[in-house]
Amino acid sequence: MKALSLPLPAEPMPGQIRFGALRRSAILLFGTPLNAVLTLLFGVLLVTTVPPMLHWLVIDAVLFDPSPRACRVATGACWSFIYAKSGQLLFGIYPLDERWRPAIVCVLILALLAWSVRPASWAPRLAALWVAALVLIFWLMAGGFGLAEVPTSSWGGLPVTLILTVVAIGVAFPVGILLALARRSTMPTIRIGAVVLIESVRGLPLLSILFVASIMMPLFLPEALLPDKFVRALVALTIFAAAYLAEVIRGGLQAIPNGQYEAAAAVGLPFWRTQYLVILPQAIRVAIPALANTIIVMIKNTSLVLVVGLFDLISSGKAALADPDWPSPAAETFLFIGAIFFALSFSFARFADFLERRGPTAH
Amino acid sequence: MLSDARTRSIIIQCALVAVAAAFAALLVSTTFANLRARGIPIGFDFLTMPSRIVISEAILTYKSRDPYYWAIATGLANTVFVSAVVIVFSSALGLVVGITRLSSNPLAAGTCRVWVEVARNSPPIVLLIFLYSLWWKVLPPVGEALNPLPGVYASMRGFVVPAVSMDVATAGLLVIALALALAAAGWAAARRGWLPPLAAPTILAVGIAGLWLADAKFSVDWPTFTGSNFKGGKDLTPELSTILIGLTIYTTGFVAEIVRGGVLSVGRGQWDAGHSLGLPRGKILRLIIIPQMLRVIVPPLNSQYINVVKNSTLAIAVGYPDFLAVMNTIISKSSHSIEGVFIILGVYLALNLSLSSAANWYNRRIAIVER
Repeated sequence: MKALSLPLPAEPMPGQIRFGALRRSAILLFGTPLNAVLTLLFGVLLVTTVPPMLHWLVIDAVLFDPSPRACRVATGACWSFIYAKSGQLLFGIYPLDERWRPAIVCVLILALLAWSVRPASWAPRLAALWVAALVLIFWLMAGGFGLAEVPTSSWGGLPVTLILTVVAIGVAFPVGILLALARRSTMPTIRIGAVVLIESVRGLPLLSILFVASIMMPLFLPEALLPDKFVRALVALTIFAAAYLAEVIRGGLQAIPNGQYEAAAAVGLPFWRTQYLVILPQAIRVAIPALANTIIVMIKNTSLVLVVGLFDLISSGKAALADPDWPSPAAETFLFIGAIFFALSFSFARFADFLERRGPTAH
Repeated sequence: MLSDARTRSIIIQCALVAVAAAFAALLVSTTFANLRARGIPIGFDFLTMPSRIVISEAILTYKSRDPYYWAIATGLANTVFVSAVVIVFSSALGLVVGITRLSSNPLAAGTCRVWVEVARNSPPIVLLIFLYSLWWKVLPPVGEALNPLPGVYASMRGFVVPAVSMDVATAGLLVIALALALAAAGWAAARRGWLPPLAAPTILAVGIAGLWLADAKFSVDWPTFTGSNFKGGKDLTPELSTILIGLTIYTTGFVAEIVRGGVLSVGRGQWDAGHSLGLPRGKILRLIIIPQMLRVIVPPLNSQYINVVKNSTLAIAVGYPDFLAVMNTIISKSSHSIEGVFIILGVYLALNLSLSSAANWYNRRIAIVER
């Protein structure tokens, strides 16, 4: 939490008593009867839960001893398992000698994400940069042209989570813009079609969309064209993201005053150029905080692909736990995976807060 | 002719409909060709055939020789049960956590903030799998079952809680009493008077007392510990308990943020105005603060409730047979995939649309009436 940065007066104001830090916290903790009760209640709660957790997490835990035997005798957490299996946890069943490739992909995606969230880098060339990066990422992951080929069925772990998130949102973004425009169209068939599509996708659980995509796609398409599991999950995630992004962008579109449309019409701009040059740049800027929230939701949602048999972080964790040499420290593994998701999502949430505080940029 | 906006719009729409129809026709014909090639029949006749699938636990009574439609109903009942329990508990807890986050007490506010941040920033499926992996680590074997509340036992085999059993007539009367209580609350809210603040609970209490006096078939079955096992009560398996606890923890974080936003949205001036009229705190809260707060929190709360129904599908991660898991088993067992997919889509859309239309109705009741 960010502390209030109000400058405290160096000298006490006349008539004001200066309290020491101890005194101040005592007033905060026990100043009123309600606060005293709350302090007691939460004090008891924390005293009973935090020390056992600390013991398990740190004090009694196996931190560095890399032998499975140490974990069998320890009463605390088995963190050495996470070290020993970090490669498998992060990259799944990707061939051992080639693990540098998904490692580079992860660093690349995270660095690009960090780069793109700076307001200074929001420009059309950012999209070009991402397309180039995605081509590079695909080449690194799949191989060919000098690298050993790796089929998508052996992709796994963090790169799968990151690629699914980034590609689903990237493809869904233009689709979402089109859907949002369609929903505001004056042509009834287009509007109704968009409403039905958006509302039915938003009314369904993502898991059911993933299931339907993996059940129906083999039936919809001739067998020769059948995409693999990875692409099927990607299609489902994209459809899902597009419906949510459409609503976010529609919110941005609604914030644009009518005068902007009238001004564009007055200079004789046709529909698409009005949208591209005048309306969308402003609407998207207004919608950016909400877009960041949607990205958080998508990062969390990609963890569902394990249910349709993709090798994401959770399933590579489960695979690592199957090693009979180790005492199967499931709680530690899932805590580690949860921490990765938490770090990604929490930092993005702070960024969204920053954008919201900054307010919409002037038109 | 093309320069006329109206004509152009009609031409564009016709073209679009034609393209969409052609695309749909292509999909349908490929699908039927694929189904024929694999020799899969189409039709809903299979619903009345015995399913022979296993549903590991159910709220309704289900046996594997029951027909498919009953298997579907069983899965749906599980989903509705999980969603309802999670909605009730997370609303109550979220109210407490959200208000405590606003407390000036740093210990209380900080703990609640940690809860909210963890819930909002971790994927629910990871939370569920983590809790499930803790189950055997934290809880004792049956012989040493914890007894946190009278009649509630927790052990490796799950929770045992007191079971309430009643016959159909009693259940019907209870539902009528509940409906009357809800109608009274709605009536009071519609007059924005909160006139009889205790009307709804009173009706419910009178109803229950009446049932009790009429010696209805209504009994509470308290579990008893017999040394190696429990007798009576209702078993909540580790799977069901994990999904209930995990989704409640998760949803509480979101409800708490909504409540906090609602409280903050009502300005301090409203309290001051109430005080200056000489109203006591309770009345200010009931007459001024809560009605204004509800207006802010009902729409986002509604979408959280719909999210609970959607997140209940994550039960599959810990092996609890919710509606989607049952449908998935049915589809792989009967190979009626098209019909199964239509049932899945129809049921979730119906569930969520009815939830949101109920919330919209309530929202209209409490919305500001502009004069």
